[in-house]
Order: sequence, then structure tokens, then C-alpha cells
Amino acid sequence: MIIRFKDTDRVLILTTLFLVVAGIMMVYSTSYIMAMERFKDEYFFLKRHLSFTLIGLAGFFITMHVPYRAYKKMAYPLLVAATILLSLVFVDVFGVDAGGARRWLEFGSVRFQPSELAKVAVVIFLAYSLEAKRDKIKTFSLGVVPHILIPALPIVLILLEPDFGTSMVITAVIFLMMFIAGVRITHLVPLGVMSLPLIYYLVAGTAYRMRRILIFLNPWKDPTGEGFQIVQSLIAIGSGGLYGVGFGEGRQKLFYLPEAHTDFIFSVIGEEFGIIGVLLVFILYLSFLLCGVRAAWKSPDLFGTYLASGLTSLIVLQAVINVGIVMGLLPPKGLPLPFISYGGTSLVVNMAMAGIVLNIYKKGCEG
Amino acid sequence: MSKGSRWLKVRLVSLLVFFLIAFAGLTVRAFQLQIVENGRLKARASDQYRKTIDILPERGEIYDRNLNELAISMEVDSVYAQPCMIEDRRTAAEAVSSIVSVDAGSVYKRLRDKSSFVWLKRQIDMPETERSIVRGIRGVGLLKERKRFYPAPQLASNMIGFVGYDSIGLEGLEWRYNNYLRGEGMKIAGLRDARGKEMVFDDGDVSHASKGSSLILTLDRTIQYIAEKELLKAATNANAKAGIAIVMDPSNGEILAMASYPTFDPNNFRRYRPRDWRNRALTDLYEPGSVFKIFLVAAALEEGVVEPNDIIYCENGGYRVADRIFHDTMKHGWLTVKDIVKYSSNIGAVKLADRLGRSKYYRYINEFGFGKKTGIDLPGEVSGYVRKLQEWSRVTFSTISFGQGISATPIQLITAASAIANKGVLMRPYVVKAVVSPDGEVVKEVHPVIERRVVSEETALEVTEILKRVTKDGGSGERAAISFVDVAGKTGTSQKPDPVNGGYAQGKYISSFLGYAPADSPRLAIIVMIDEPSGDFYGSTVAAPVFREILKQSMAYMGILPNKGGESIKPVKLAAIRRTNDDIEGGRMPDFRGKSMRMVLRMAKRIPLEVKVVGSGKAISQRPSPGGKIGRNRTAEVRFQ
Repeated sequence: MIIRFKDTDRVLILTTLFLVVAGIMMVYSTSYIMAMERFKDEYFFLKRHLSFTLIGLAGFFITMHVPYRAYKKMAYPLLVAATILLSLVFVDVFGVDAGGARRWLEFGSVRFQPSELAKVAVVIFLAYSLEAKRDKIKTFSLGVVPHILIPALPIVLILLEPDFGTSMVITAVIFLMMFIAGVRITHLVPLGVMSLPLIYYLVAGTAYRMRRILIFLNPWKDPTGEGFQIVQSLIAIGSGGLYGVGFGEGRQKLFYLPEAHTDFIFSVIGEEFGIIGVLLVFILYLSFLLCGVRAAWKSPDLFGTYLASGLTSLIVLQAVINVGIVMGLLPPKGLPLPFISYGGTSLVVNMAMAGIVLNIYKKGCEG
Repeated sequence: MSKGSRWLKVRLVSLLVFFLIAFAGLTVRAFQLQIVENGRLKARASDQYRKTIDILPERGEIYDRNLNELAISMEVDSVYAQPCMIEDRRTAAEAVSSIVSVDAGSVYKRLRDKSSFVWLKRQIDMPETERSIVRGIRGVGLLKERKRFYPAPQLASNMIGFVGYDSIGLEGLEWRYNNYLRGEGMKIAGLRDARGKEMVFDDGDVSHASKGSSLILTLDRTIQYIAEKELLKAATNANAKAGIAIVMDPSNGEILAMASYPTFDPNNFRRYRPRDWRNRALTDLYEPGSVFKIFLVAAALEEGVVEPNDIIYCENGGYRVADRIFHDTMKHGWLTVKDIVKYSSNIGAVKLADRLGRSKYYRYINEFGFGKKTGIDLPGEVSGYVRKLQEWSRVTFSTISFGQGISATPIQLITAASAIANKGVLMRPYVVKAVVSPDGEVVKEVHPVIERRVVSEETALEVTEILKRVTKDGGSGERAAISFVDVAGKTGTSQKPDPVNGGYAQGKYISSFLGYAPADSPRLAIIVMIDEPSGDFYGSTVAAPVFREILKQSMAYMGILPNKGGESIKPVKLAAIRRTNDDIEGGRMPDFRGKSMRMVLRMAKRIPLEVKVVGSGKAISQRPSPGGKIGRNRTAEVRFQ
């Protein structure tokens, strides 16, 4: 090993690997019946997930060795590339329609979700830009405006896919990073307040989003219609109890839990492993959070600090939102659970992000 | 963090705290859902699995006495949808309606239903190509269901009846024995599975466990066919309004055939008028006419008021009683009691009844079963009408002696005549010999029921001798005679009452013949009634030939004719009903017990075997049991706990 592992390195690596292993198990558990039914191969999704895991491990290994400062130079190119890829989604030759949304690019047999790349690109750009403008950070024109306006294009493109969840997560992470970088609270809060009408418009503007919002407030009102998914998710988690019904034995995935292997995989964790399993997953994310914040803390420069806290926030925030949705605390938005949900791009990108955080931490320890 | 300010550290810690609070909130929620509300949500979960769809059970078969199928269950497809699984209802509705003959609008309406399961079209026959198209539509699936089918459409349909939607018997035996035939209502739990149209159940094959029991009738398909064929021929030739023919084994009351005209096809019963559905043998009342003289002479002989050879003056065809004058078709002077029956003299009957006395006659009418139901195991039987003794006028008494002014059902008449044939003992008629479960177990077996002795054996034999002469040369029933075998019987030609004007309707008659053969050891009792024949209306010319044809052909079939030897009608063999599914190559059942549902499904897939799962957890029991043979339908049931 090129890197000499210290304690925190080990914790971060183990945390990431545990999450990935949990993902492998749950993808199998949630998909084997459906896979058998659709493809006559119970391992269909598992096999694909495993190959993504291998690519992810490679990404993890590479990024943990690439000095994170290299990303500084790539901040703009990455952002431009991500934006172009996001636009390509709307070009019929490359874009793929799935479930009423265009979130995928297809090159031959390779499918790819550009919004996942865009998330990283935005975070890298912000870390770079916030560090570059650290002296003027308290000013509105330099501390706030560019960090809102420049990522706005990819965010809007994601919003158009439509992928409301991902765009909200990116926006939230931008705010968190600006907060970390010391942008005035008096700038951030009014901005947040000002964006509320916009969010409201986005929510209420499309009927299906509004319906989802209203349903989340009381899913039991219409358990067979709009509230169906949430109600089924709550039933799954709730019937798990203390210890759960056992690995592979969950029945909600058989009965009415659509997308059990992707966005609602956490419901099956709750059902099959009970509150014990739920808390274990929480602990893994908290461990990742602590490692991430420690990396930010230890980083030799502000770019590393911002990058580490941005990437960590991206992963942990998405986990919080996903779990919040699945538990009926947030309106359903269709976000994968980082590391665990089935989905190639997301897994590979998440593991690469973990690698970057690890590299920042390593540099911090060396410096 | 070389250049890190204190504030940066504070902000990083705030970030940490922000997420810690978020996870604390999530933990509280998890606790609430999984610990506090665990019971409620768990109950809701199992509710939801157990919430079932009623699948029509496989209805038991109806067999004749030789186990020929009269009514069977055919496997057909039913198309269902789970509306909540369908995103584009319009497209799905159009796709379904292009295959199934239901218009897209009504399919769409059903798809908009909030429920999680709706039928789109039940019980249709579709080729495999169409099946796979239907299965391809997301949220739409197929279930195997059973539909009632009558392989010989018109055969005994008035007796068997028919089945409505939802496998509920509406008429006849299907109605009467519905509880046995229908079986346990089939519930399929797993089918609530959302996507899994074919996941656990592969088309949700209806398991044999739910199949209803089968009926084995006393009916003989061939005799029934003969009776229907001859009745139809006679009724159409005579352009009659209706007709009935019943064939009964007088020794035990088993109904061998029961034919009605007009009849209907129970496969398409809705296309017929409800009156065509009627089993006229027990629902319709007729004035029996001269066939009723059988019972008068039996009563008179039993009471010893006359001897068969006593002579009675028949007034040369005209006899005044109170304000009425009775006529005979043919004028007779002195006639023996025997000849009164042979030539069917009404005047002779009136005088015979006078000698018997009205109260005794009344008692015998009741003893022979008139005025009350025979108790046959078929629905819709009426009791007929016998005026109370106190209401008998002089004229009533006289008309009843030759079968007018009294009403009876054909089944009552044949049951009463069978009592004479059966040496004076009246048997209760019945059509269901046994009820047999799908496993071949006899659930219910019906034995002949002796109602009572009506007349002594001597009297019965005397009456038989008298009735034999009816079919001899010069008798009113000579057209009922067949070669080599003595036939005992009596003709009847009765006028129909006029419901509008009172009295009797002009030109409306019922021609009948009631008898049994071989006279000395009766095997078959037969009644034939032709309602409102046009043109010729005498029982001797309209009904007697039908009787003869039914008798002749049935006896030839049964091998009773002397030149065919003496083999009798076969008794119902219940053992033969046991189906030998075991013999079909199917492999042996593995031992699923103790395994998880996942393992069981995986093992079953390999065999292959369709598994119906009940409960959840570990397998605790299975059917067939481990090592048992896998049946032809390749299904098994595994219970989990």
C-alpha cells in the first residue's frame, strides 16, 4: 500500500466498505424475486451491482491517491463538461426516457447519469471559488453572487429533467458550503427566504409535485392511491420492529413496494433488520460524517476544507433526505440512498467522493 | 487547517451538529415507527397480505350413474388488473380491449378504480399468443378460473339446472346441491403482490384443495337421451305445448331419466325463456285423467270391495250423477273390473268408487302420495291439489275416480305407479346417488328410502295383472306393448281446465301413459305426458307410442330384452370415481419443512413446481407431503410460520 493508514483512514475506508457491503446485501435481498420474475435470474441485479461496485472500488482507490489539489485546475473544465453532458440528456440520440423523466445518457451499452457528475463538479467548483475569494467572502457581489449564478445552469438543467430532488440537494449543499466558508448569515438567510417563493412555484407549479407534497402530509388518507408508496414504506419499516423479519424474508418488496432496490431500499432494511439495522446504518453515515468533518478540519488548505465538507454534506444530506422520505417525514422525491441503493453512476461517484475525502484527510495528516 | 480561523472550526462543528440533529430526528421517527407503532403496522402488513381475491372455486362435476360427465369445470382465463400499478391507464385500457372483447372505455373506467384489484373480463378462452400479450401489459394479469360447461348441452338440463356468475347454482341440481358442488371459496392471498403477476403463483393456478365435491346421479345418460329424443319427436310431431317423460327404477326410486320439453342449453341459458328452464316433471300440475284409475282399482281391490272379475254395469256410455251426465268414449254394457281399466270406462270408475266409498278412496289417494310432495331431491317441486274430503261433492267424488278434478305432478304419478310395480311399497324418488369429494371420498351417500306400504303384495300383483291387459289386443294401451315383454300400464286423456271460463277448455288435452315393465318383475316405470297435442289427443295414440319407444330402447340398452340376455342396469360404482392422478409421471415432492420462503421458491423453480405459499417465516407443512407424488397440475401448498 502506498498510503500508510492511520486510524481515521481505516475508519473512513471501513465505513465506506461497510456501506457498500450493506448495499450489495440489500440489492440482492430486494431484487432477487423481481429479477427471477423478469429475467429468470435471481442474481441479475446483484451481478450488475457487483460490477458497478468493482468500478467504484477502482474509483475509490484512484481518487484516494490523486492529490486533491489537482481538482482545483479542473474546477471549470469539470463544470463545463457536466453542463454539456446535462444538456445532452435532452438530445434524443443520447438521452434516455425513463419513467417520464430524462436523467440518463446512453453511449452504446453504457448508461450514465450526468447529474451525479454535476453534483461533484459543483462542489469542486464551489470549493475552488470560495477559497479563491476568501478575502472578499463577506461581500455579497463576490462571496455570494458567483456561487449562486454559476452553478445555476446545471441546477436548472437537472430541474428540467426533471429531477427535483437532486437539484434541491445540490442547492442545499451550496448553501452549506457558503456557510462553512464564512459567507455572512445576513446574506444567506434572506437568500434562502427569497428562494422560498421560487421553491413554492416549482412545487405547486407542477400538479404531480403538489400532489406528492400534500400526500406526504397525510399518506393514510389515500393509502391505495397517491399515498400508496409512502404507506407501504411505513408498513415495511414499522413491521420490522426491533430485530426485523430476517434477511431476505421481507414481504413488502413482494407486496407493494415498488423500487425496493433503488429509492426505497431503506424500507426493506427497516423491515428485514428492524430498528437495530436502521441504527447501524445511521451509525455508518454518522461515522462517514465524522471522518469527513475531521478531514475538513485537518485539511492543510481551505480548498481541502471546503471540498471535504462539501462532499461529505452531499452524501450525508442525501442519506438524511432519503431516509426522511422513506420514513414519511419529507415529501417523496426519488433520491437514491448513497452507497446502498442500486444504481451504477451514483455508486461509482459516491465511492470516488469518499476517495477524495480520504485523500484530503491523508494530506492533512502529512502536512 | 493551518490558516483555520476559530470561526471556521465553529462553523464545521455547527455542520456536524446540524447533521447530528437530523439523525436524532430520524432515530426518533424510527423508534416511533418500529417500536411504538410496530403492532399496528405489522397488523396492517399482514392484513394486506391476507386481503384476498375470491377466485371461483373449481366446481365439482356432475356424473350420471356410469360416471359419464354431465357437467364439468373448464379451465378458462380471467383478466384482472391492479390499477395502482398502472401508470398510463389509457394505453393499458386500449391494449386490453384490443385483445379482450370489452370496449376500452369501460376498461378505462375500471382501471380508474381506487381498489388494488379489479376484474376486467372473466372466464374467457384465449389462445396462448393473446395470453402472453395480456401478461405483457404492466399491472394486468391472468388468472386461471373455472367455468361451468355442459358437454351434452341439452341432456337433462331441466334437471341439472345451471350456474350463474360467481359459480353459484341458480337452478336444478346446481342450485340444490350448490354447497357441495361449489367447494370452498378460493382465496388467493399472494396475488395482492404488486408487480408479481406471475411471481409466486404463476398465473395463480387454482389449487385442487378448493375444488367442490362431485355429484353422482342415479340418472343414466343413455336412457335420458332416449327419453329426450322420443319426447322431442313426439312433442314436435304433435305440435304440443309441453311434454314430460320420466323413467324410474320402481324397486328403489332411482330416477333414470327425467325429460322435459321444451328444454334449453344450460351453457347459454340466458338465451332461453325462463319457462324453458322449468323441470316440468315436478313443477307442473296436471289433471291426471284415466291413469288415475290405477290407484282407484288398487284401493278397491285392497279394501276387498270388488274382485278383479266382478262385473259392473257401465250404462251403455251415459250415466247421470247428480246434475251431470258422464260419458264413455266407447259404449259398454257389463264390464269386469279388469275390463273397466282395460277399456278405461269412466262410468265403470265412478261406480267402482261408489263401492269403495269416498273416505276410503280419499285415504288411498293420500297414501299414494297425492297432494303432497314426493320429497325428491330437486328444487321446485309442487304438492298438487287434492280437495279436502269435506269439500267433495257427489260430482267431485265421481270425477276424481277417473282422474279429473284433482291435480298431480308427473313425478307423483310415476312414484305412485312405482309403488304398485314394487309390490305395494312406495319408494321416495331421488336423483343424487352420492356426493364425492375431489379426493374420491364419499361425502354423502343416498340410500333408497321406503316411504310406506300402500297396498298389499297380492293387491299389487292383481293390479299388475289388470294393467297388463291394457296393453294387450283391444286394450286402450295396446300401442305401448312391445314384443316378448309384458307391459303394465294405463293411458290417460284428460281435458285441461279453462282458467278463464271455468270448466274445461275446448280442445285442450293432456295425453299420457303411465306404466312399467317387465310387468312381472318391473325394472322400469315410465310416465309420458304430452301437453296440448294438436290433432290427435288420445293417450292411447299420442303418449303410448312414446312410452313404447322409450321402454323398448331402454330395455335393449339395459339388455333386458329376452334375446339379449338378462343383464341388469349397473349399480352405481363409487369406487370408480377415484381419479388416479398418482399414475401420472410427476416426480416426488422434496422436503420443504424448516426452509425459508426464499429457499422453497428457489427449489420449487428447479423441479419445476408451482407453490402456493401460506403465511410467512419458515415452512412448517406442505402438501403433498415430502416424498409424495407430484400431481399432474404440478402444484403444491406450503405453509409458513
